[in-house]
Amino acid sequence: MLEIRDLHVSIGDKPILKGISLTILPGEVHAIMGPNGSGKSTLAQVLAGREGYTVTAGAVTWQGQDLLAMAPEERAWAGLFLGFQYPLEIPGVANVQLLKEAVNSQRRRKGLPELDAFDFLERVKASLKLLEMDEAMLYRGVNEGFSGGEKKRNEILQMLMLEPRLAILDETDSGLDIDALKIVARGVNALRGPERAILLVTHYQRLLEHITPDHVHVLADGRIVASGGRELALELEAKGYGWLTAEAGQEARP
Amino acid sequence: MIPSTWIDMPAPGTLPEHRREALESYLAQGLPHTRLEDWHYTALDHLARLPLHPPAAADVTPVIDEAPGHDLIFAGERLIETRSSLPASLLHPLAEGELTAAPTLAPGTALSALNAALWKSGGYLTVPRGQRLERPVFLRFLADEPEAMLHPRSLIRLEAGAEVVVVESYTGATAANYWCNPVTEIELEAGARLTHIRLIEEGTAATHTGLTAVRQVADSRYELLDLSLGGRVCRHELYLTLTGAGAACRLDGLFLADGRRHSDHHLRIEHAVPGSMSRATYRGVAAGRGRGIFDARVLIRPGADGTDARQDSRNLLLSPHAEIDAKPQLEIYADQVQASHGATVGRLSEDAMFYLRARGIERHAARRLLLAAFAGEALGLVAQAGLGDWLMPRIEARLNEIGESIK
Repeated sequence: MLEIRDLHVSIGDKPILKGISLTILPGEVHAIMGPNGSGKSTLAQVLAGREGYTVTAGAVTWQGQDLLAMAPEERAWAGLFLGFQYPLEIPGVANVQLLKEAVNSQRRRKGLPELDAFDFLERVKASLKLLEMDEAMLYRGVNEGFSGGEKKRNEILQMLMLEPRLAILDETDSGLDIDALKIVARGVNALRGPERAILLVTHYQRLLEHITPDHVHVLADGRIVASGGRELALELEAKGYGWLTAEAGQEARP
Repeated sequence: MIPSTWIDMPAPGTLPEHRREALESYLAQGLPHTRLEDWHYTALDHLARLPLHPPAAADVTPVIDEAPGHDLIFAGERLIETRSSLPASLLHPLAEGELTAAPTLAPGTALSALNAALWKSGGYLTVPRGQRLERPVFLRFLADEPEAMLHPRSLIRLEAGAEVVVVESYTGATAANYWCNPVTEIELEAGARLTHIRLIEEGTAATHTGLTAVRQVADSRYELLDLSLGGRVCRHELYLTLTGAGAACRLDGLFLADGRRHSDHHLRIEHAVPGSMSRATYRGVAAGRGRGIFDARVLIRPGADGTDARQDSRNLLLSPHAEIDAKPQLEIYADQVQASHGATVGRLSEDAMFYLRARGIERHAARRLLLAAFAGEALGLVAQAGLGDWLMPRIEARLNEIGESIK
């Protein structure tokens, strides 16, 4: 469903990703782990279509289409979702307004009628309940004055409403206490299904205790230096990143 | 010299004394030009080149929408319709004697003097002591005659404790190059409360140089929404004096300068006594080759201790050829005042645009959401005045036009 082949990405002249290859199939949960500065967030942003990055080599194919040629909104319509590491505050745009616009522009693209107010509210309420969010949140500005945990829950709310085929969650676990982490994990698990895939980008493995990945990849210095199953995350937890990044450093030498 | 075609009343020699004096004052000052500090940003040279004349008798009555309130409708400086259930003693066309009997609040600027010399009609509203008018009062001025020169004059007086919402609108439906130069004087007695929506939506080739003069005494409250949505060259001057303790004003403004629009907002606020408050919150949007100006000065007179004055001007530039000048100023001669001003000129947040687009919201829809949110920061009075249904579609239509004009 998603195929990344030898992806090289720079910011200005500085190479950040130095040849990433990754294939994600429907139903799979992948976790990308790595120390700060390894390129994790760059990968997430490039997949979602953020400007300011230059793809210098490689390709990304999404359900047979050239993903990199698509505008951010086209990627969203095609079923891609990015949960932001730092969700933006947009005062003056109500949460419910964003959700309605987002859901309905997706439906229009699919040739479906816009959701009527009643159906829309029913769906939102069910998701709010799952995420233990107050209905009043709908009428506040997008993330305006939200706590860190509320912002992350709000990302998951948007994800549940949009029902993406692939959800990329960028450090969705950072800044969450254990209760909030469980709630977020509950939201993500609710989305899991045979047609959907999830890409978790995280520094720590604690999120993986609640969302079990099928594949774990370690990113260091812009490369995937190790791939494995669930056990790789545990090994990282025990040993840290040092042993892998040191290897990557050696490998990089001519 | 003033062209004789400007005057269609008795020859200048036979004008009433006060009008002749006003005319002489105008002639002594002449048409404002950009070498004057107060007119630095706005040129009126094009007016001198137009064969301006008083409006001709309108033989067609324009059709105008139903406004949710009492309504005086003027077209080409003639009252064409009264839709009001108020006693005529409260709301009627301004009479010459009423103006001369009232204290002059408008400063003697050239254009205000020209208005005083040449005005033909306008609204008169008085709200008696302690009365609160349930429905808003509309004073609407329509224009559509090329090269017509209009000088509407209005007077609004609220006696002690009176309360009302007034909508003053200037509208032109066509691309006629007329010039509208209205003056409105407002006097608020103790404890009176006026919410004033002032709407410029002149025709696309029109020039508007309006002036509002307000005098407030103790515990009165003046709330202005200064909206500039249409017209080619527009300027609104507000002269406001707070002369009583506890007097407060809230001045909200929104200007949308797209295409080749020019919108100049010139505020002069004077705190004359201790214990008054002023708040100015303006939002400006410039696109295309549009230009917007926020030029405000708050003067805190000696002895006006305990004054609380704030100015906040935030502006969005949506094109490389658009321009915004934000110039908030403070002149303080008193002690223990709280006074601040801030001005920013920025662009639509790329981060916010990406966030919305990543949720599948098209670029133009994302821009529309962000523009509406930005403008909304200055539009709190719309809902408070209960005018959302009447006013918001006009504002939203203009915001959409601007949003869609950007590539």
